[in-house]
Amino acid sequence: MKVTFKIKRYNPEIPGKDKPYWEEFTLDNVEPTDRLLEMLHRIKWEQDGTLTLRRSCAHGVCGSDAMRINGVNHLACKVLMQDLGSKVTIEPILGLPVLKDLVVDMEPFFDHYKHVMPFFVNDTPLPADGRERRQSQFDREAFDDTTKCILCACCTTSCPSYWANGKYVGPAAIVNAHRFIFDTRDQAAKERLEILSEPQGVWRCRTIYNCTPACPRDIQVTKAISEVKLAIRKGSPEGIIKVTEIVERVVNA
Amino acid sequence: MLHRVSGIGVVLFLVIHVIDTSWAVFYPELYEKAVASYQSPLFTVGEFALVALVVYHALNGLRISIMDNKPELWKYQEKAAWGVLGGTVLLLVPVFIWMGMHVVDHYAKPNVFVLPLAEVLREQIPFAAGMGVAVIAAVLAAGAYQMIAKPAEIQGSAKAQGSKLETFWWSFMRVSGLIIVPLVFGHLAMLHLLQGVFDLTLAGGRVVGVPTVGSPLSQAELDAVGLVWPAIQNGINDTGTATEFVAERWNFMLGGVAVWRLYDLALLALVTIHGFNGLRYVLTDYTQQYPVLRRASGYLCVMGAVVLLIVGGAALVATIEPTAIAMADEALRALHAAHGFAG
Repeated sequence: MKVTFKIKRYNPEIPGKDKPYWEEFTLDNVEPTDRLLEMLHRIKWEQDGTLTLRRSCAHGVCGSDAMRINGVNHLACKVLMQDLGSKVTIEPILGLPVLKDLVVDMEPFFDHYKHVMPFFVNDTPLPADGRERRQSQFDREAFDDTTKCILCACCTTSCPSYWANGKYVGPAAIVNAHRFIFDTRDQAAKERLEILSEPQGVWRCRTIYNCTPACPRDIQVTKAISEVKLAIRKGSPEGIIKVTEIVERVVNA
Repeated sequence: MLHRVSGIGVVLFLVIHVIDTSWAVFYPELYEKAVASYQSPLFTVGEFALVALVVYHALNGLRISIMDNKPELWKYQEKAAWGVLGGTVLLLVPVFIWMGMHVVDHYAKPNVFVLPLAEVLREQIPFAAGMGVAVIAAVLAAGAYQMIAKPAEIQGSAKAQGSKLETFWWSFMRVSGLIIVPLVFGHLAMLHLLQGVFDLTLAGGRVVGVPTVGSPLSQAELDAVGLVWPAIQNGINDTGTATEFVAERWNFMLGGVAVWRLYDLALLALVTIHGFNGLRYVLTDYTQQYPVLRRASGYLCVMGAVVLLIVGGAALVATIEPTAIAMADEALRALHAAHGFAG
């Protein structure tokens, strides 16, 4: 299979390339089961060593090779060539400053992440046996989905609200707040809900649903954001999940 | 995106419509011309577009409200979005046929008065100018505030801001939307489908939502009582003026209550606040990087909402002057005469 790659490039250090421009590369002998990241490697190693991109583990775990592939955010290492066709368009993810080619400045993204207190808070003494704070399976289920986040920024940079307004905390930060807000062992839920009820918090979400299909970990991002919204309206995370779970069971029954 | 465009389109017409309709009370002679504009081809096209925008915005708004309150339904999101588009088209087919029949009926009449396009456009200049002035005023005011108060730009941590306001507005948009849907569909069904904009000014025509008493008054009878309110209140637009149409509706009492005034008041209040808060959402989404413009967006929306609520509210609580219909009748005849039209 012969595949043409149209890649958006930018290099601020070289005159003539310091404005974003498109460049095409063609590869022969592409197997349907090849991954896109391998193809980018082939371009870099065989055709143009200056092509710049981030990648680390190359197995969909580290979340460093998020890019906009045929208009949809994805991890290059998780996309198979058979799903892309013979013409592939690749751009850096939108909404963050591009540093070079496919590499963006992730600092604004991580600032939003830090802002929601993405860490466990519990000041009470450990249980008497000194081992662990126990939790029922049902309680754990409530935030299981949002523990899967790898901070690749696919969701946040697929969000039109975030494109228009980089001050919005964005889906990824809300997902990571959700992970602790709905954890029964954590004690700072109220504080996080307060942070997210600010003008640049969850209310900037317009329920567009771009983030849900963008997630390479299949996190139900919009659902998590909606649960946070409902928790803010109720003043606490309690009951939100349980009610919706019951509805789910009735619907499924 | 379509939701934003449809919302803004509806707000723009809302401004014109509320101000125009208030003229029925305050400036009957201007109102006749405004309704003549509504009956011109440009506004007929606009009317179809408006109805399409309202229907889409209503259905899509319902979808978003449901999804927001039942997060577990996310799986059906894509189907629901297509369902909204399909539902809009399905609903619009019979509605457009009905509206189209009004258009065909109207132009099939032997003698049709059409306000020339140039005049229709000239009518809209004050609105465009007014909106322009409002925008400039909002930007200037925001600029002045920026220069005088020099507010510190809020960065990163929003912890200190402590605002429950956005939470309230979010709920308000959904609750008000839910109430607006039946109100606005009722409004459209009554005035655009049952009545139709052309038959608003049909002499001797029925007035939708008001029971008919007796038969249309003849010219001789009208001359006898004089075009004086409320002598001609009978559920029929005897004079064929838009002002009498509005008066018949607003002064109709059901069990001592002016039901259509109350209905329109509820619609005005909810739609204006919903519309301008929506506009604020849209504008502030795109102006976050520019403090002055962001502030101006807020000013503009508050200003717009307050003006419409005052103008529309005043019209809805004001008494219609006994001589209003005579004035309107005279203005309508003058308008026809000016364009060489013999009704």
